Amino acid sequence: MRKFETLLLLSPELSSETRASLLAGLKGVVEREGGKVIVEDAWGIRDLAYPVKKQMRGFYVRLEYTGPGALIAELERNIRIAEGVFKFVTVKLADAVEEVA
Amino acid sequence: MAFKKKFTPRKKFCRFCADKALPLDYKRADILRDFVNERGKIIARRITGTCAHHQRKLTVEIKRSRQMALMIYTATHACDVKKKSVL
Repeated sequence: MRKFETLLLLSPELSSETRASLLAGLKGVVEREGGKVIVEDAWGIRDLAYPVKKQMRGFYVRLEYTGPGALIAELERNIRIAEGVFKFVTVKLADAVEEVA
Repeated sequence: MAFKKKFTPRKKFCRFCADKALPLDYKRADILRDFVNERGKIIARRITGTCAHHQRKLTVEIKRSRQMALMIYTATHACDVKKKSVL
């Protein structure tokens, strides 16, 4: 079990329920692949340092979760399919994380 | 007789070694901004004084925060530069 963190940059025009459904979908993928979401931290709309897809503002969401390594390929495949996700970055935080539950 | 050099540069130290609590993280663009010049370029180690180990981690974190639009790549972006109209 490894601990990962994904920072997502979402379009500011997304309505809150589409955004919630998108995030629920991603969390569903994590659960389905045998992972567990620890923290879902929404930073809200922030100004971007440079225009992304002609937008100067974006909605940031940070997901922290544990799971096996294979989970990432599946999760990123879903992120790429999803609409309204401009950018994302996945970082491994910790290696051997024992199951806390 | 060569007199002693008056200019004694201030003692440079690695901020990440000195202050363990300082998070070296792509999400904290405010801290990373101290290691980038005003045009958005990464400042050399010999000027900021960071040690090799932390400088390597620093460059990775800065590049990640640039990718996530938390920090700028260059001060003047292509779209800001007025395109010369080709007549």
